[in-house]
Amino acid sequence: MNGAPRQFHIALMLAASLALLFALLIYLLYAANLISFPYDYDQGEGFELHDTVLFSRFQLPYRDTERYPFYASNYPPLFHIMAAPFVWLFGPSYWYGRLLGFLASLVSAGAIAYAVYRDGERQRWIALLAGLAFLSSNFVYHIGPLFRQHTMMVTFETLAMVMLAGAFPRRDKRGIAAALILLICAGYTKQLAAITAASALVWMFLRAPWRAIRWSLAFALGGAAAFLWLNVASGGQWWIQAIVANVNDFTPDQATGLFILWFKLHGLLLFPAVILLFYELYFDRLSIYSIWLVFSALLGGLASGTWGAGDSYFVTSIAALCILSGIFFSRLLTSDWRLPRFISHESLTKLSRAGLIIVPLLYLGYARATLKMPTDGAFEPLAKALGVAANVREDFYDSATFLVGGYARIGYFLTDADWQAGAEILRLIDETDKPVLSEEAGFTIAAGREVVTNPTQLRNLHLAGRFDGAQLIEMIERGEFGIVILRAHFYPPPVLAAVGGHYEHAHSIHMNGFDYSILYPKERNGSKGTPDDNRLPD
Amino acid sequence: MERHEGAITKRQLGRFLALVGAVGFVAILMIDVIDVGRPGGIGPAQRMALGLALACALIGLSLIPRGDAPA
Repeated sequence: MNGAPRQFHIALMLAASLALLFALLIYLLYAANLISFPYDYDQGEGFELHDTVLFSRFQLPYRDTERYPFYASNYPPLFHIMAAPFVWLFGPSYWYGRLLGFLASLVSAGAIAYAVYRDGERQRWIALLAGLAFLSSNFVYHIGPLFRQHTMMVTFETLAMVMLAGAFPRRDKRGIAAALILLICAGYTKQLAAITAASALVWMFLRAPWRAIRWSLAFALGGAAAFLWLNVASGGQWWIQAIVANVNDFTPDQATGLFILWFKLHGLLLFPAVILLFYELYFDRLSIYSIWLVFSALLGGLASGTWGAGDSYFVTSIAALCILSGIFFSRLLTSDWRLPRFISHESLTKLSRAGLIIVPLLYLGYARATLKMPTDGAFEPLAKALGVAANVREDFYDSATFLVGGYARIGYFLTDADWQAGAEILRLIDETDKPVLSEEAGFTIAAGREVVTNPTQLRNLHLAGRFDGAQLIEMIERGEFGIVILRAHFYPPPVLAAVGGHYEHAHSIHMNGFDYSILYPKERNGSKGTPDDNRLPD
Repeated sequence: MERHEGAITKRQLGRFLALVGAVGFVAILMIDVIDVGRPGGIGPAQRMALGLALACALIGLSLIPRGDAPA
């Protein structure tokens, strides 16, 4: 390859790199904007912080929710244990959990790039683009810098799969053991990693059944030992809180909508990934990444339709498709195929030449398909040049829009008004000495109060017939909470009914795109709140 | 050089996928036969599952001629 075609290829590769680096810049700015925000940005972050605080005190968050403070967690412990040392150093705060999540996403991207480089003919540039493509995904973007365990789970999964892909065929016992330990770590970061574990075991079985069975037994023993210890240490609450309370309703429309959105955003890389999968199926050996893509896309996608799930359930499949498409592109450019003899060498050379143009164009198209950016300030001229206008708030464009159920409605940048609104809620909490019933833990933690309840957990337990709530409802009826803060009304219906009967709405405070309702006991003395709407300006 | 260590062959994988696809296809159809009182007939999710089961069976059948090559 000489002269003009090569120069054209380089120009297109540079353009694709710039487009994906721009996505990385937006991701960095979003993370920088979000990391120090002292309240929930995504619902549930505060409860993960509270779990971290409990672990830092060597306490388990798997507790009896019938007794004050009616709190329990449904998440496995590892991510919170990793963040716990920061509590000792800096006290309860969001920034280190968000930083851990963000750094974990970068590690995943690095592992993807390494896998493409190692298993895809050592094409550095393609490897770089594959790593950047992962970070450009809308689904990865908005969950990356959150105080949520999901990104860390994906990182453990990705590291495990990349390590296993190299170690298992070589019979490298240390490598296989390390990869399986990483898979156990993924599972004890979030239960969803069971899908990746299943795909790893199936792949090992396809390649070497007896050896796979021996390793699978060791893997199962390791995982079960940790499970049993947690259950015994928590007096059986681990089973109730992390397993029983995790079985939720399934909404087919949500799963279907998210599948379609996933395809629209990632289709340009999904197609080459699927082509490589079929090539391996018929003409080569199935790679671990192909099995991983099938399992994570089908089962993860199906799980995305459950209540409380969402687009983040596809992030694992995005890691797999970035690796597979990167390897496909690398092999396309180097003509590294084992095809039947009737396909001539000349045809493959022509295909490789076409790849010089097709590969960067696909990455460019993918960068456009996953574009999200602010549309105001310094970005306004660029947004106009790209022909995009704000479509999810007044000042942010997201190619995914917010139209699909289950798509996390976050990703925009926080403003001073959001900080002021949070401070206003804190001021209202400071006015009372009584316990606070808040649907998000961030406010109570920032105010130095005890975290009372975890509403989604109580809802799930209630639906599973494992939460009565008599003591909590009694406290509400007696007006023992000085203030109630609601956002999405996630509490079980009997709890919401008790709040509705004994508390009255006093303020609505708009923060971070949501309205927070502030309620006070109906019979409180003095400043009885007449309903007003003092929503702070955006 | 990597040993094959009794690896699953493409023929075995093909038979397995064909069986899973066929059983899955029939099982999905049986939902309507068994649950006669259910309104609406075959819904969109069921149609999607039927398509997947059919694809699985066809891929499996097409793999069988690939013989003893390792999967």
